[in-house]
Amino acid sequence: MDEERVIIPIGPQHPALKEPMNFMLKVEGEKVLEAIPNLGYNHRGIEKAATVRTYIQNLYLAERICGICSIAHVQCYAQGVEKLLEMEIPPRAQYVRLILSELNRLHSHLLWVGVAAHEIGFDTLFMYLWRDREIVMDTLELITGNRVSYGFTMLGGVRRDISPDMAARVKKEMKTVRDRTQYYKKMSSNERSILKRTQGVGILKPQDALALCACGPTLRASNIKWDVRREDPYLAYNEIPFNVVTSDGCDVLSRMIVHYDEVIEATNIIEYALDHMPSGSFREKVTRRIPAGEVVSRVEAPRGEDIHYIKSNGTDKPERFKVRAPTLGNIPAVCKMLSDSYIADVPIILAGIDPCFSCTDRVTFVKGEMGKGWIWTQEELRRYANRWYQQR
Amino acid sequence: MVETKESKTGLLERLRNSIPQEWILSLKAPEPRRIFLSVKREHFKEAMTKMLKDEEITHLSTITGVDLGEEIEVIYHLDKSGTILSVKTTTPKSQPTLPTVTDLIPGAPLYEREVHELLGVAFDGHPDLSRLVLPEGWPPGLYPLRREISIENIRSALEKAKEEKKVG
Repeated sequence: MDEERVIIPIGPQHPALKEPMNFMLKVEGEKVLEAIPNLGYNHRGIEKAATVRTYIQNLYLAERICGICSIAHVQCYAQGVEKLLEMEIPPRAQYVRLILSELNRLHSHLLWVGVAAHEIGFDTLFMYLWRDREIVMDTLELITGNRVSYGFTMLGGVRRDISPDMAARVKKEMKTVRDRTQYYKKMSSNERSILKRTQGVGILKPQDALALCACGPTLRASNIKWDVRREDPYLAYNEIPFNVVTSDGCDVLSRMIVHYDEVIEATNIIEYALDHMPSGSFREKVTRRIPAGEVVSRVEAPRGEDIHYIKSNGTDKPERFKVRAPTLGNIPAVCKMLSDSYIADVPIILAGIDPCFSCTDRVTFVKGEMGKGWIWTQEELRRYANRWYQQR
Repeated sequence: MVETKESKTGLLERLRNSIPQEWILSLKAPEPRRIFLSVKREHFKEAMTKMLKDEEITHLSTITGVDLGEEIEVIYHLDKSGTILSVKTTTPKSQPTLPTVTDLIPGAPLYEREVHELLGVAFDGHPDLSRLVLPEGWPPGLYPLRREISIENIRSALEKAKEEKKVG
């Protein structure tokens, strides 16, 4: 190996993190040449576990695939099983689920922009965004009774209705969130320290984004207008006007702007949906045995396309349940972004795809031969990155 | 053999005309925007190359592996303008191998590695079929998503591997 060439393992984990991961970075001086992902630190065998549980038990399992986009997974699973049953859920249930999906997107996006701000050392913005995220969390709690795992989606509908009182309060909160997000967006597009750390960083060209099968905001920030809600509409998305947000910068700043714009879009969608909610029942009874068949179901989770494949053999347990969460789809893209970047940009690029982990928490630097290594925590890497930028 | 319901994009029609009949085992569209195409193993790569080129498909959502008992079915979920085209093919379970699609789809390597690891399908021509999601020290040859492997099997195999490590 060349004297100057070094391999840096990043990750895998900290017990408190959701999805630990490891990247081996081949670096030369300050430049990252190549990033090799190493997954599976949080592989829990959910696909196997689902085959020994009933369809109703699997609702709860699906919701626990992820703690942030829990609504997205349970929606994807439930709509798949409902297709196997060849049933349409009541229109009101569709609207309630849609509102919850968008609230889910809101809190996930606000969380992400906060994390991104934290990664570049802008903790004030992080605090503001997470404060405002609490408004959304409270709204979710108001509707479902829970903050994180909602237990709200059922096969055939939803567990509870949204009352007019709730609707009024949600609408009021949406206005607050929208107004503040517009301010943050304006500030982020003009603030020098944010621009310096995000503009031109973590480039993913449109042709690479397509070739590497990226999805979600990562894809849309590379100026590809592709959103499952528009391309393959589910729930009532074909009845609600909304924009598919894109940005053409292909960098971390673009990803930030796309997230801000999607927050604004989501608040509009929620308001529209609350105003146009059809009346009627919000759930229907379903049988426990699901007819034999197979179905491919997908939704636009906050992080992108979430796809489930369910195969039924006519019993009350699925024969095969396959899940592809959006983060996995974006891993090849993040490796592309990391190659030819600076070590100091690694935290923000990794955070840039909004992964379901923020895992650069333990970094081992190994230089040359064995034994000459040292370990950095994510905090130290972040401090190093911020210092490196100050000196430039 | 050919079953229709609806496909607005006309993709179903085009596939029926462009893919030779003798390659196809079944072609159906059970609901809007979903197409299932089952092709013979020996024509799988040819069919895939042709479809990706003719339809200008770039997006592969994921690859699913299903244990059918005697065979392993591998399903490639492609996206064409919002329609999910699920291309299926099978490979005998005694020696499961399939040609890789990583040369056609740069986004495919991780999905093929996952199927390889969980169901034991070897993908010919894949640049690196190393461990992806299972832990280090996982007993080789134990494919957890195969039918005959129960959760108890996995648990005892893992304990055994742990014991051996202690002794060794």
